Amino acid sequence: MRSILRTPAARPYILLVATIAIFYVVDFGHGRINQATVFSVLQLFATLGPVALGLGMTMIAREFDLSIVGMMSLAGCIAVMTGGTYPLLGLALAVAAGCFSGVLQGAVMMWLDISSVGVTLGGLLTSGGLAYVLTNNSSIAYPRMDVAMMVNAPIGSILSIRNIVAIMLFVTAAFVFHWTRIGRDVVATGSNRRAALVAGVGVRGVVIGVFALSGMLAALSGALLSYSLAAASPVALVDALVPATAAAIIGGVSLSGGKGTPASIAGGVLVLCVLRSGLTAIGVPPLVHDLVTGGVLLTVALLDASALEERLFAFRRWRLGRSL
Amino acid sequence: MSTSPDHLNAGTPIRASDGFIGLPRSWRKRAIILVRLMSGAALVVAALVTPGFLTATSILSLLTTIPFIGCVAVGMTFITLSGNVMSFCLGATLSATTIVFMASVPIGLAGALVLAFLFSVLVTGAQGWMVGYFRANPIIVSMAVLALIYGFVTLFTGGRGIYPAGTETDILKGRIGWVPIPLAAFMVTVVLGQFLLSYTRFGRNVFMVGSNYRAALAAGIPAWRTITGAYMVAGLFTAVSAVLMAARYASGDMEHGLGYDYHAISAVVVGGNAIGGGQGSVVRTLLGTVIISILRGMLLLWGFSTQMQYLTTGIVVFGVIMLHSLGETR
Repeated sequence: MRSILRTPAARPYILLVATIAIFYVVDFGHGRINQATVFSVLQLFATLGPVALGLGMTMIAREFDLSIVGMMSLAGCIAVMTGGTYPLLGLALAVAAGCFSGVLQGAVMMWLDISSVGVTLGGLLTSGGLAYVLTNNSSIAYPRMDVAMMVNAPIGSILSIRNIVAIMLFVTAAFVFHWTRIGRDVVATGSNRRAALVAGVGVRGVVIGVFALSGMLAALSGALLSYSLAAASPVALVDALVPATAAAIIGGVSLSGGKGTPASIAGGVLVLCVLRSGLTAIGVPPLVHDLVTGGVLLTVALLDASALEERLFAFRRWRLGRSL
Repeated sequence: MSTSPDHLNAGTPIRASDGFIGLPRSWRKRAIILVRLMSGAALVVAALVTPGFLTATSILSLLTTIPFIGCVAVGMTFITLSGNVMSFCLGATLSATTIVFMASVPIGLAGALVLAFLFSVLVTGAQGWMVGYFRANPIIVSMAVLALIYGFVTLFTGGRGIYPAGTETDILKGRIGWVPIPLAAFMVTVVLGQFLLSYTRFGRNVFMVGSNYRAALAAGIPAWRTITGAYMVAGLFTAVSAVLMAARYASGDMEHGLGYDYHAISAVVVGGNAIGGGQGSVVRTLLGTVIISILRGMLLLWGFSTQMQYLTTGIVVFGVIMLHSLGETR
């Protein structure tokens, strides 16, 4: 039992069970939480999950991809504008754009040895600007209502094409991460880059790959979201940066790198999705969700802070000194 | 357990570019200075040949837009220089401060001003304390505060803006002599900001903490107080912008500061401040703000749409970050 509790990947799931239990107790006898809530949790997971996975992977490699928000809206615009006749073509072009932007940013970072925050800030502003230019600063409608209906149509009451795609992505990522060298290379790159380099890890390739993945996942998620809403807009349809970061961090990913797995990130995303859908279902105004997200982020940021123990120690000593 | 001081995920540097394009470092630096000067010259020439740029209307519109973004950018400079990259919630702080200001105008203009400044400084100061005292990650902390600001503001206002009927704030839209008050306030902000950085111990400490945290600690600098101070200064200057903006639109609304965090960091970066901290000045930020504004004004005059402005700003930021890193001595 203790060994399970000590596994970092288990923490988000313990939190998840606790959250579900609280909602169960609060809703007991009301029946406001039902199959529809589960469906909405999974739909939210489909939007947020891939982005959080990509961002989380860059964080495991001790980088940070700010450009995901810009990429999401850009990809949505590309998909809607090119996918009129062949939706899959639009999707492919959007994902290709995400891959290109990720590789470009990763390569610039490695070539010039710049911090990822600076480069991806440029990437965020550029891809966001590109979305404005492509759409002429207006939201555009997607003519294929059938596609919009199809990606969201419930399959077996809780699944849909969109959330199946997201779940498959996580399963694939978990397999690759646990059973191939790639996962270990990413963790090594994030834990101690110099040591990883000495040990023969292709650090540059890993970082470029991680950013390519992050760009592609953000693009995929943005394109599918635009298909499902039958619209694209240069103004982000969902502000994904804060929730994606929160999901990755609840999922045990640390900003100092090397911690977290796809499975734990999935847990973190689910916690946030259950929270949001559950609160909506029992009729709590959305501002509570903002407050809870902010509170959780702040708590984890403080728990993860590097000088926390030192400060707590100083505080205890000070209190001890006063009581004597 | 990593307790490394560079808690910004800058990554452990690996020398990827030793002898980049085969040039010795001093040559590289000279080449970059040349590129900077030439792009500056190109901008000036382009502005001068743009028909209609040197007219009173065009220059007046530049001077009315620059102060609002400029004050926030000067504030952001302090956060960047202290080694904490950026805060994602200066825009939201700005918006929330316009609401606090407008909501408290009934108690009198002076009282409302005090409350607005106090609110803004406290919000950013709390962030700075968490970042400085506990070494929490500045990016995550600012995202958390962003969510909290939106939550609390919606709680108190129900998601609506505040539009008071009175005209007490109109005095802030006036002029001192022939200088509009926003422009005057911005000039004071720049002078005060640069004075703080260059002529006070606090300013020295900001540079020291930003360029080498450990060395700063070893030198006995109270790093956490410096970082908290840097954030408080950011809040102070953001409040200047907030008060002016509330007066200009006669309202307090969460829409006012939308995107200002990104505009501000763009100005900071384009002016040539090091994104990793420790190197830069308020004057550079002023330069960055002016460059971006001129660029945008020019694009408009050339008949490009507003959306082109976003793209150009993005590309310029990207380019400047790359250029800056090429010239860094490591």
